[in-house]
Amino acid sequence: MIPLENFLLLSAVLFGIGFYGVLARRSAILILISVELMLAGVSINFVAFASYLDPEAFSGLIFALFVITVAAAEVGLALGIVLRIFRERRTANVDAIDELKW
Amino acid sequence: MDVLGNELNFQYELLLPEIVLAVTAMLIVGLDAFRTELNLGRRTLPGLAILGLVIAGGLSLTWIDSDTDFARLITIDNFTTFFRLLFIATALVIIVGSWEYIERYVAHNAEFYGLLLLSTAGAIYMAAARDLLTAYLALEVLSFSLYTIVSLARNDQRSGEAALKYVLLGGVASAMLLYGLSLLYGVAGSTQYPEIAAALSAGVEDVELPLLLGLVLIVGGLGFKASAVPFHMYAPDAYEGAPLPVTAYLSATSKAAAMALFLRWFAGPLLPAIDDWQWMIAVVAVATMVLGNLVALQQRNIKRLLAYSSIGQVGFMLMAIVTISEVSASALLLHMGGYLVTNLAVFMAVIAFYNQTQKEDIVEFRGLAQTNPFLALVMTAGLFSLAGMPLLAGFLTKFILFQSVVDGGYTWLVMIALIMSTVSLYYYLQVVKQMYLYEPSGNPARWRLSPTGYLATGVLLVATVVLGIYASPLYTAADRATVALFS
Repeated sequence: MIPLENFLLLSAVLFGIGFYGVLARRSAILILISVELMLAGVSINFVAFASYLDPEAFSGLIFALFVITVAAAEVGLALGIVLRIFRERRTANVDAIDELKW
Repeated sequence: MDVLGNELNFQYELLLPEIVLAVTAMLIVGLDAFRTELNLGRRTLPGLAILGLVIAGGLSLTWIDSDTDFARLITIDNFTTFFRLLFIATALVIIVGSWEYIERYVAHNAEFYGLLLLSTAGAIYMAAARDLLTAYLALEVLSFSLYTIVSLARNDQRSGEAALKYVLLGGVASAMLLYGLSLLYGVAGSTQYPEIAAALSAGVEDVELPLLLGLVLIVGGLGFKASAVPFHMYAPDAYEGAPLPVTAYLSATSKAAAMALFLRWFAGPLLPAIDDWQWMIAVVAVATMVLGNLVALQQRNIKRLLAYSSIGQVGFMLMAIVTISEVSASALLLHMGGYLVTNLAVFMAVIAFYNQTQKEDIVEFRGLAQTNPFLALVMTAGLFSLAGMPLLAGFLTKFILFQSVVDGGYTWLVMIALIMSTVSLYYYLQVVKQMYLYEPSGNPARWRLSPTGYLATGVLLVATVVLGIYASPLYTAADRATVALFS
């Protein structure tokens, strides 16, 4: 059987790549994709813990299902807002959207 | 029965207040689709929202002193009832005080009211959850509604920008929180609060590191929702770009819900791990009150000023989490009640001012004491109460809060808080100075508020003053909620 550590490592790497993407990318769409990567890491964590530690209750699996659903809803919502910004300013670059500061 | 053989309690009437809120929300949005056919008046939608809130509030009174749960997911105890009433009252005040603003400056009125009610239901379940999954879903119900209503300002480019920043950073914060929760689940082997508490108090020597990492991420994610430093970056922008009633709602319900979740988690499942998280919250609390209050000094826009002032207030509230005990938790609830009343008084006054003048810079408040003495009085009482002046709600509640932290053995935290409280007086006085010491810059003619404007500001003014002198009803309520929290 694959040890639990491998799954945790995979999820940590995914989460880390996603977090790096949030910091490094300047397009709102790419930032959203990076957030999705972070959430993928979270789902893997939940599923791995559920099957190794808590096999009879599977609350972790349910949690992972909800994370996927909520993430989809979040992307839909955020894309709506990006679309609105794009209509107003013809850009989705977060550095160019800087009317509000300090 | 669930898979583990636990008897589950499916009494749906326990959830009636939130069901009423959700049904009203859908009714409002549905009715609005037939606006012209049904010939709806301009007061129909806010009236319906108020009706729903009043019914939900009345229903929540049914469960005073009950101590039960719904399917091991939602706790219905005095703590829940306290926050149900608090959040419903907040939404009620905001709708009464700003429906004219909403009509004029908010696009998609029906969706606005609907999402406001849904987010209230989400905030309530954050305080009521008994399972990490319920808490997470409630938090997202609140956040998603807020992301949307922040973007609803009419003809204001800042609104979209505020919503974008809020949704992107909110998504990152949720992901962090979730990763923390997944680690906590891995450490404790359950998502139920009582089981997590049992697992953590049984000893976690061999999983110290994942637990610590999980706690850092949980504090970060929750800190974002409460806009604690260093996770506050979005807050001033979201506050400034959002329509004013949404700003009021963000600084009231959204913060109080995050604090409720802090209390539920750190006084419940995470209490056995107190040595691991106490210092984190202390650091965050110090950073929050110092930065929030210092940056507020240089603000020129009233929304941004109130945003930073509310960040500073969160720092004070977090002190009570550091020294978590029955005394400090009840002091925190009391202070939260006082803060909500005062903060809403200021915001309702600012909304009434905006309705008349369409201005939101602090210098525009000059001469308000001449053009509208009543509004100037409400603003002054509210700002002084936020600063903690005696005889007003803010003084009494802040005093009790600080005292409970001293009793908890964190005198140095209170020293910093006292200094920052004094600093805050300076920027609150800047606004008061504009209102009382200068001549009006524009038309010096007197103007009046709308009847509902008078109602909202008047009630909140009276509450601010009365709570400063006679706070024992709120004190008793906070006490009973705390007893339920720790039971």
